[in-house]
Amino acid sequence: MASIKIKTEVTGSVWKIEARAGQRLAPGATIMILESMKMEIPVIAEDGGTLVELHVAEGESVNEGQVVATLTG
Amino acid sequence: MSAKPSDDGSWQPEVDELALRRAQADALGGPAAVARHHEQGRLTIRERIAAMADAGSFQEVGRLTGQGRYDAEGKLLGVTPAPYVMGLAKIDGRPVAIGGEDFTVRGGTSWSGDRKKGGQGGFVEDMAHHYRIPLVNLIDGSGGSVTSINRRGHSVFPGVHGFERSVQLMGEVPVVCAVLGTAAGGPAGRAILSHWSVMVKDTSHVFAAGPPVVERSLRQKITKEELGGSGVAVELAGTIDNAAASEAQCFEMVRRYLSYMPQNVWHLPPVVDVGDPAERAEQALLSIVPRNRRKAYDMRRVIQLVVDRGSAFELQPSYGKALITCLARMNGKVVGFVANNPMVYGGAMDGPAARKQAHFVELCDCFHIPLAFLVDVPGFMVGRDAEAAGTLREGMRSVFVGLQASVPMFTVVIRKCYGMAGMGATDKNGLELKLAWPSAEWGSLPIEGGVAAAFRREIQASPDPAAREAQIEKELRAMASPFRTAEAFGVEEIIDPRETRAYLCRFIDAAQERLATSVGPKPKYGVRP
Repeated sequence: MASIKIKTEVTGSVWKIEARAGQRLAPGATIMILESMKMEIPVIAEDGGTLVELHVAEGESVNEGQVVATLTG
Repeated sequence: MSAKPSDDGSWQPEVDELALRRAQADALGGPAAVARHHEQGRLTIRERIAAMADAGSFQEVGRLTGQGRYDAEGKLLGVTPAPYVMGLAKIDGRPVAIGGEDFTVRGGTSWSGDRKKGGQGGFVEDMAHHYRIPLVNLIDGSGGSVTSINRRGHSVFPGVHGFERSVQLMGEVPVVCAVLGTAAGGPAGRAILSHWSVMVKDTSHVFAAGPPVVERSLRQKITKEELGGSGVAVELAGTIDNAAASEAQCFEMVRRYLSYMPQNVWHLPPVVDVGDPAERAEQALLSIVPRNRRKAYDMRRVIQLVVDRGSAFELQPSYGKALITCLARMNGKVVGFVANNPMVYGGAMDGPAARKQAHFVELCDCFHIPLAFLVDVPGFMVGRDAEAAGTLREGMRSVFVGLQASVPMFTVVIRKCYGMAGMGATDKNGLELKLAWPSAEWGSLPIEGGVAAAFRREIQASPDPAAREAQIEKELRAMASPFRTAEAFGVEEIIDPRETRAYLCRFIDAAQERLATSVGPKPKYGVRP
């Protein structure tokens, strides 16, 4: 099973985590919501998969391109 | 002369030799070299041209070029072909000049006979210039080789075969570069001197110099993929515009790109009616923008719903992602769409997005393609990183390029339109038609950011500063309704989002007279900031 690294497209902070480790996510499901430039930016599991690990917690700052979650396809 | 004279007085022996020489040219670097090339998942230059061009349309020029080998009597033993194949071909029925390096002969390193074939300038580029037809470069070469010193007995000055014709073509005909193998040095530079470039994931690489030079210069051990794979060249650097999954997909993308282009700057792009009614109104547009101003939405979907069905072709989709640039059709006419992407930095314009917009606006202006801006921009990107990245300079350069462009532009404000970035999305040289959705808001800067600074004393003097700030914000926001600006004719129209396609189609149709009477090369003035 391929391991999928989910990266953020933006610098900002983690506002809300929507998924739990072990959870099966449908394609397009929201993993977490970041706050950047006063906007809520969803981080999604584009192709779906099982959420193996979250690498960040709510309130934490993230940089563009940072890996925030790992999924298996 | 190597062929024996014929008995019947005809030129048959020479024609036989011609056939032999042509067969040698067709064999490229020989079966072993071709097999090695195929093993790496790559097509030969002849296979590439055959795949790119309309069937049977390739008319080669310079097929006999190369290094002949002769016996003591001067009889031909064989010819090592020149490592560049080029000629005239058709793509979707329209003539193009096409050429590329042959990697199976000396790794596609540069070759020079009495006249250069292509690569940097050369016959293929002369043909594009004199016949005013697009140039398609299929790049797979590592440029000059130090072994040429041996061959010539002297070292050549840089630019002896320079880029002057390549630069000239940028204002005359569409130039497309596809990187299909390793492009280092000159061929890498050649790839950038294009209106649009594409490379193949995993099998192609582009860099100023490859891993051996990097290791020697900087003592960095690095793979070709890490140095110049699509992950770096397309996604990080924007050096190459698009990435394709395979050579076949790459050729399909080149064909698609050219379908939006005129043959040269003296013509308008072809009109292709796909039978999609201009009046088509999409219900989904009514609720695509969330009422919650903090929530983002899918701007690509907005584009797809507005343009002729299936006609959007996105350039640079993985670079400068706060902005989306698409070639598309509206009622059959080619239109360049520039849309802010609220999913990335709320659509704020950062350096890469600004660079992408500047290039795209210039491209569309050059080929008389009107522009439609779908605006949702809170302004230039802010923050220390953005300032350090030169966002202001990149941003103002994109504004400058927009103000020099003379194609008709149409502005549709979807949500936010603020500041200098917002001004850059309007047709200041033209009619300056601005349509707005009911979700639109605009100003010099967003209210929430500006209140604290503008009303600092009043807020500080209040017994409850936070409440006072919120109150001022609320009062200002009530006055910021787009309808009030429409009353003052500060925007020309507020439209139902579902009417976007019909409105734009009517104005784009009406602008065709202007476009048809403004063809030709675009002059350049002044200095870009």
